[in-house]
Amino acid sequence: MPDTPPHLVQSVRHLTATTYVIRIDRHAFRAQAGQHVTLGPHRFAINREYSIYSAPDEPFLEFLIKARPGSESALALQRARTGDEVDLAGPYGEFLIAAPADRARRYLFVATGVGIAPFHSFVRHYPGIDYRLVHGVSRLEDRYDLADYERGRYVACVSRETGGDFAGRVTDYLREHPAEPDRLCYICGHSAMVANVYDLLREQGVPSDNLLTETFF
Amino acid sequence: MRIAISYPPIVNERGQVAMVSQNRNVQYFKIPTYLLPVVHAQAATWLRDLGCDVRWDDGNAQRKSFGDWYAGLLAWRPDIVVFESTTPVMTFYWRLVKRLKGDLPGTVVVMTGYHSMRRPEETLQACPADVVVQSNHVDFVLRKLVPFIAERADWRTACTIEGLCIRVDDQTLRATGAFKRVEDLNLSPDIDRDLVEWKRYAYENGNYLRTPGTYATSVIRDCTFGKCTFCRYNGPDLTFSVRSVERSLNEYQRLIEDYGVREIFDDSGVWYRGEQARAFARGLIDRGLHKRGCYFGFNTRFGYLDEETVALLSKANFRFVLVGLEAADAETLTRLNKGYLPHQARQNLELFTRYGLHPHLTIMVGYYWQTAEQLAGTVHTVRELMFKGLARTLQVTLCTPLDFTPYHRECLANGVLLTDDYDDFDMSKLIVKTPIPHEAYYRAIRDMYGVAVDPRFLLRQLGFLASGRVRDWEFLFRYGWRALRRVRNHLYNLTAHNEPTLSAPR
Repeated sequence: MPDTPPHLVQSVRHLTATTYVIRIDRHAFRAQAGQHVTLGPHRFAINREYSIYSAPDEPFLEFLIKARPGSESALALQRARTGDEVDLAGPYGEFLIAAPADRARRYLFVATGVGIAPFHSFVRHYPGIDYRLVHGVSRLEDRYDLADYERGRYVACVSRETGGDFAGRVTDYLREHPAEPDRLCYICGHSAMVANVYDLLREQGVPSDNLLTETFF
Repeated sequence: MRIAISYPPIVNERGQVAMVSQNRNVQYFKIPTYLLPVVHAQAATWLRDLGCDVRWDDGNAQRKSFGDWYAGLLAWRPDIVVFESTTPVMTFYWRLVKRLKGDLPGTVVVMTGYHSMRRPEETLQACPADVVVQSNHVDFVLRKLVPFIAERADWRTACTIEGLCIRVDDQTLRATGAFKRVEDLNLSPDIDRDLVEWKRYAYENGNYLRTPGTYATSVIRDCTFGKCTFCRYNGPDLTFSVRSVERSLNEYQRLIEDYGVREIFDDSGVWYRGEQARAFARGLIDRGLHKRGCYFGFNTRFGYLDEETVALLSKANFRFVLVGLEAADAETLTRLNKGYLPHQARQNLELFTRYGLHPHLTIMVGYYWQTAEQLAGTVHTVRELMFKGLARTLQVTLCTPLDFTPYHRECLANGVLLTDDYDDFDMSKLIVKTPIPHEAYYRAIRDMYGVAVDPRFLLRQLGFLASGRVRDWEFLFRYGWRALRRVRNHLYNLTAHNEPTLSAPR
């Protein structure tokens, strides 16, 4: 295996007290929009899987991470400084917009929290894509990098504060605004949300072959 | 409806019986190892709860001959029979299904399992099975499919339950679309231990230090990581689903209090990590289950458990930690998509053993690219880890492409498979071209299993006695003898074959 130069931290951009975007050197690392990696501080015993937040053609790699209490790896990366080394493996996964013909389709993206990461990568990489992004967040501050989404395509479903585009969970929103059955639907977030949204979309007539899921853990 | 969930006794020419083993592999063993098929056991429970007459029909665990098992099944005259497929037993199943459909033409045969789910047409063309379940959520699919078959005479054309490939007639197969990958596992019932005769699986299992032991209803199906190329829990069609901590704790409590279980293993591809792992450990402690003489164990992967979590697990009386160390070189780990580096394996093992856990290493050899240097590195590392007490037990398998995993497809694409006879995929011999003679890999297996009788390993185990932990005394004086017997069994299984046609190096 050829030696690859170390991936060094370029910056850590803090979005909230617990959520941040870490940017690292890309070097020759190649991945498709929607894929994920395992990432951890260098020579650390722990790593975690993170979807890639940046686009495949950007000269760096970015990851959107929420550091929950007890999440040792995420907390350590949150404290990283410019020039610190990280360990990276991958890419993995098939949560992709693969076929060029599919890019002309209409998409529904459903995410909660940092599950928005692969959709951010899609939107950055396929600028002409016809999508609606339904994002479930607890608070208004969790609407990360709003400016990166085309006006009118991003819907924030805010469950614990007033404001945003819709008051309630993503499932509440989808009940009031059913998906068109011809949409290609991508769901990313925690297991229970993924299962609930899947059932809802099936009830609304979306065929199972048009549903892709990515589960966070 | 009368539903049989059936595991026929399958005996090879050496008198070994095909046992479902780790990761749903089938391996032939002389000394039995009975692993409860957890998802199928949940399916059986769920169908019984729906009012079906369910026959839990594990001919292996029930120690039946094939003839007795088959006669019993015919006499019971099931409406539906469910089998679990995997590559090395496919041709057996195809023959069996032909015979069964001849004897019971009205019985609907449902094939489940990772081989047929990825090649449904192959199975439906090779035998007269009626349905192939293409979902790993066998319980969720069957609880919808069985009532549908019961209610609708036109089920073959009318059924729209996703994740099925159905034989409509002699000429027509019908797929019902992609299945739901993420299910809420809290909806599937805990296994009914009496229905599946749990005690038949409670003793003959090398992973138990104390018996009776049992497998918990898995908290994760299939694997949270799911990227290792050789693993059947990997593929675009699969992801993982989760069961709640509370639900699982309730089951542990019942197993201990109502059934007297003394060791519980969760065979989830990878068990909880992070907050869920800590909550589970705290739950055991809060309920006092950590002081009830029962050990707990699970599968994990390097890089998943931090020190706070490991400390809590230790306090909660976890003991057995099964973890894959597929190789000791970075190239192989990268090619296998393991997602960890060699140094992390050592760091994690140091952490586990610091808190008194007993790591069990699962090692593989015989990758089609594996060089002498890489192989020697694995042997050296494994022996060193065992001598230093950083792992307590191990099992070594030949990496065998199975069930159209990414590794299997890679072997096919690269033309390195030495056979296309599924009977050869039973993990008893290498079936891929390799850069060095196959004998080198068999020798490596002997070298690694040889650790068990090496004075350095035995001395290390004696050294553990100073810790004063009961489990260390039990390990040496109770488990040790059983382990030696199993080491001989594994060595025989993995090295007895030496067929010249298959062992030619590239």
